[in-house]
Amino acid sequence: MSVGRMPQQGFVGISGVSKLFGKVAAVDDVSLDVGRGEFFALLGPSGCGKTTLLRMLGGFEIPTLGEISIDGEPMAAVPPYRRPVNMVFQSYAIFPHLNVFQNIAFGLRKDGLSRAQLSQRVGEALALIRLEGYGERAAHELSGGQRQRVALARALVKKPKVLLLDEPLGALDKKLREHMQIELRDLQKALGITFLFVTHDQEEALTMSDRIAVMSAGKVVEVGPPQQLYAAPRTRFVAEFIGTMNFFEGRMLGWEQGLPMIETERLGAIAATTAAAELSPGETVTVALRPESIHVEARNPGPATAGLAGTVSKLAYLGDRTHAYVKVEGSDKLVLAALPSTRALAAIAGGQQAPVTLSWSPASVIVLKGPR
Amino acid sequence: MTRDRTSAGVAWLKGYTITYLVFIYLPVLLLPIFSFNDSIYVALPMKGLTLQWWREMIAQEGMHAAFSNSISVALPVAFLSTAMGLCAAKALTGSRLPFSGLLTSLFALPLVIPFIILGIALLIGFNRIGIGLSLYTVGIGHVLICLPFSLFVLLSRFDGFDRSLEEAALDLGETPWMTFWRVTFPIVLPGVIASLLLTFTISFDEFLLAFFLTGSKSTLPLYIFSQLRFPAKLPAVLALGSTVLIGTFILVAIAERLRRQEGGTRS
Repeated sequence: MSVGRMPQQGFVGISGVSKLFGKVAAVDDVSLDVGRGEFFALLGPSGCGKTTLLRMLGGFEIPTLGEISIDGEPMAAVPPYRRPVNMVFQSYAIFPHLNVFQNIAFGLRKDGLSRAQLSQRVGEALALIRLEGYGERAAHELSGGQRQRVALARALVKKPKVLLLDEPLGALDKKLREHMQIELRDLQKALGITFLFVTHDQEEALTMSDRIAVMSAGKVVEVGPPQQLYAAPRTRFVAEFIGTMNFFEGRMLGWEQGLPMIETERLGAIAATTAAAELSPGETVTVALRPESIHVEARNPGPATAGLAGTVSKLAYLGDRTHAYVKVEGSDKLVLAALPSTRALAAIAGGQQAPVTLSWSPASVIVLKGPR
Repeated sequence: MTRDRTSAGVAWLKGYTITYLVFIYLPVLLLPIFSFNDSIYVALPMKGLTLQWWREMIAQEGMHAAFSNSISVALPVAFLSTAMGLCAAKALTGSRLPFSGLLTSLFALPLVIPFIILGIALLIGFNRIGIGLSLYTVGIGHVLICLPFSLFVLLSRFDGFDRSLEEAALDLGETPWMTFWRVTFPIVLPGVIASLLLTFTISFDEFLLAFFLTGSKSTLPLYIFSQLRFPAKLPAVLALGSTVLIGTFILVAIAERLRRQEGGTRS
């Protein structure tokens, strides 16, 4: 994937938006800019305020504070039925008393189309979601995946400036979900419409989005392209929420040949390449390492030659890869290393209690400010 | 062993159920049966079959007037109480209404006030404000007692109604008013029809409030009651009663079927 294309800023502008329910801030001073044609994800655990934020864009909730604009137009006084956005609801909200054709044509009533124009528009929408010939189907005759497509077509047929999607794939099974991820992505690229979607599934966000805003407790913690959030998170929350991570407490020693050196209790002095420049010697930091960045080698019993010596404590077989929980000298917390299952046998020949050496490249070391 | 005990239990339950059904329906069945009996006395054995009482019933002028009075009360009552019940049910199932539980109980309260008390209270009330008794006052009383029924029929229809359907309609460009007519109303329509049938039946059959609140005109139940004073007219009343019974039964059966109809509210 490429990060190259910089989206035009501010097509959807959210500035200083808060939403209070009683005294609880569901959304707390959020500012975001989403570019035209961007596939943007709001990612976070349930209750983080992502759906409330999406509903404010749709006009179903009114911000307590702050402003929302779409294509330069302030949205404060615009009711949902006059906004240039359409939404795919989590429940899909297919009208049960209407058939597929009538569902898709629902929003076109006011466009003053002739009967022929109407069936052409609906026909195009059905072709888009590859459900040609399904127009006469009743709503209850559709499968979950088909309902999802009809909801999508019903919203897209309105040609919105922004399409809002609330957990669009949450109700589908895993296979179909993975298939729809690709399909949605292709559809968005082909149409060039700005997609703004909400998900709690980090994998989904990583697969589909141009950029992701990670939310927690009503606030946006970090915004960035998937690669950046995964490989170089700047906060402990994002490092922990996206993917799996090993954390080690440490202290900044200083700079050595341009590389920051960090003293950790368990790993000894290690080098990193990605640490923020503002770190000063003596500062407390957290060192984070992805399990797949840790290289596992079988070790002959005896002192370690290079890297960190340890013994395998537990093995978890996950199909394509195997997780090795490694006990390191002088620490109770196990280090998690992920390795391709095909390699696991060679590296950990002895199975449990096998002596191994752990190593990693400085480039894969993530240094986070502060102990937490 | 357990099998024997179970079958004994089943036999006992069967007997109980049959007794129960006989107890409910036998007295009611006597009405149509004796309406064909060739005697003015309701007594066994039956003397022979006749259609005389049905002919007599149809010929009664007072009955025609009472029947049309009842209809002209019951129809507006059904529409008014259903419309009010619809608004109330929509408001009560919306998430934003405070005290919705308390309000539901308050709306249901007329159900537990004995109608005779309600009748006296309304009578005093109308007299105090200076509203003369007429079929209109009967209608007002009937709306009062029909509203809880309408509300509960419609609440059960709104229950499980996915609010995002209304949001989807708004999102697709319809105003709240048109959203109601294009989405909400068609989905709850079976409940609306059930409520119309039920409230119509309640108003049509109601005696106590009509007795207290009517002016010079009488409704069908009042007319039937007045006829009971004349023994010679009893068999015609039986025929009339049978007609009302059958009509009511059909309406309520349709209403109950519509109320239970599945699949409408699920999205």
